[in-house]
Amino acid sequence: MGYQEIKPETKPAKKAYVSLMLWFVGRAIQAAAKTDDQVKKEFEGLPDRFTFSLGVMPQGPYMIVGKDKNGAVKYMGSNPHAQKVDLQMNIKNLEAAILLFTFQEGTAMASCRDRLILSGEVPDALAVVRILDIVEIYLLPEIVAKLAVKRYPKWWSPVSKNVVRGKIYIRTLLGI
Amino acid sequence: MFLPDYYEYCCRVKIVAGHNALENIPDLLADLNAKKPMFITDKGVAGAGLIEIVTEAVKGVDTSVIEDDVPPDSDLRVVNRLAGIYKDNGCDSIVAIGGGSVMDTAKGVNIIVSEDAEDLMKFSGAGALTRPLRPLIVLPTTAGTGSEVTLVAVIADKEKNIKMAFTSYFLLPNVAVLDSRMTLTLPPFITAPTAMDALTHAVEAYTCLAKNPISDAHAGIAISLIANNIINVVKNPSDQNGRLALANGATMAGAAFSNSMVGMVHSIGHSVGAVCHVPHGVCMAILLPYGLEYNLHRSGHLTAELLLPLAGAEVYAATPPEQRADKAIEVIRTMNQDLYDATSGRHARFFSEIKDRDGKQMVPEDKLPAIAKTALGDGSLLYNPEDMDYDDMMVVIKAAWDGVPLDRSLIKRG
Ligand SMILES: [Fe+2]
Repeated sequence: MGYQEIKPETKPAKKAYVSLMLWFVGRAIQAAAKTDDQVKKEFEGLPDRFTFSLGVMPQGPYMIVGKDKNGAVKYMGSNPHAQKVDLQMNIKNLEAAILLFTFQEGTAMASCRDRLILSGEVPDALAVVRILDIVEIYLLPEIVAKLAVKRYPKWWSPVSKNVVRGKIYIRTLLGI
Repeated sequence: MFLPDYYEYCCRVKIVAGHNALENIPDLLADLNAKKPMFITDKGVAGAGLIEIVTEAVKGVDTSVIEDDVPPDSDLRVVNRLAGIYKDNGCDSIVAIGGGSVMDTAKGVNIIVSEDAEDLMKFSGAGALTRPLRPLIVLPTTAGTGSEVTLVAVIADKEKNIKMAFTSYFLLPNVAVLDSRMTLTLPPFITAPTAMDALTHAVEAYTCLAKNPISDAHAGIAISLIANNIINVVKNPSDQNGRLALANGATMAGAAFSNSMVGMVHSIGHSVGAVCHVPHGVCMAILLPYGLEYNLHRSGHLTAELLLPLAGAEVYAATPPEQRADKAIEVIRTMNQDLYDATSGRHARFFSEIKDRDGKQMVPEDKLPAIAKTALGDGSLLYNPEDMDYDDMMVVIKAAWDGVPLDRSLIKRG
């Protein structure tokens, strides 16, 4: 099973691939928080100035996303030591990260298989998982996203989904 | 048979079970090199005369330190006070007699006395404990929570209004003693929901995402032990064999779910407990059929397999395969109705009929949105076969409030 197209083979290649994915997802979350109502709502429910990191143990790569002092959701770079982080989501090792970022394994299954280590408040972590799911649904083609999330929302209107998808892609690439 | 690509399983608690299991405690303590245990329990257990039964059974053991002042919702102050008594009396081990609150308290005390800790908070979270604690023997007096084999303790800090969770294999007791005399006096209206909690542990362990072959084996036998005995014991509370079967079932269910986790029944149940203070087992009994119904399109094949331990070989064989999951759900609903009848209506079947001691409704309808919201933040949701958003939560909670089966056309499939 699994989507076999993207398959970095060597360790540096894998690390580079995961770094790129983290960077992309981080910027996409920033974009989605401006364009998707559900993501907006999830962030509103999180504490003021909330930040979280997603990364790979033991030495990264990482990405940090959080709310700035005005409540705007921002991609905050790749150094988790440069700022306070309220919620850390760490993938146990590079192999597990590859499973996750080649979408062979969803976030929920990864945590069932003890591949994700959370430190922070559980309700916050669940909100972040929901945000990641929504962002993946926008970023990925349906056939891949179906593997990555527990339930693919086929009840979303395809027209507005594609409009928001376009906006998120543009914003992610431009970083706005 | 389901075999995951990867799983972890650990349960290293010695189980001693029988009608005269208590009599082994002196040997068990000696094996652990323990000479002066502190006995921790609560007023309910003491009031039911169980402490006399234990002290009588453990002749020769120093029983001078017995503390029965653990409240039903234990807290940091209690833990600190008991740890002080342990130190003042030069104790070297703990025997906990009670339900979940007593066991969590004993685990908390054990952290403080073993680590000589000033501040229990330092050891909260996962992985903060790095070495074995003092010997801990637990005697469960309810057949439900499975705390005797779980590696978690939850302790509230009422001053700061927070609950701290502690997770470590070092929190596992050394021994769990299951003796039928310990649950014999549990009143039927408490026996029913606590056993339904245990049944829920086993059913969710078997049907949720982190299942594995070892937890499956425990869950399957736990279900048949509980399903075969729950109604009988509630009707005939002094049925010793039935009591022992429920105790074994609850412990096995505890071992299963502490390794493969639970799902939405617990997510919503924890939330109803937090928002409306409904006892945990009562929530489990009500929600279990709804959880299975909601997940039917995902885990129906597993629910179908559970018809065998739930209803026995004859019913299983007589039910066509495609109807077995629905039949399993029906068996659980019938169980709740039978428990309602056997307790003269004290076992609630749906949320709107739960009353507190003054006859006041415990779950008013206007609390349902708050329950749904809190449930969305419960960790066990990750392990549920199907995803849930706020609207899904409301559909399930409203049906469980009204006491009507789930309208399956409202379940969103991916
Ligand atoms: Fe439970």
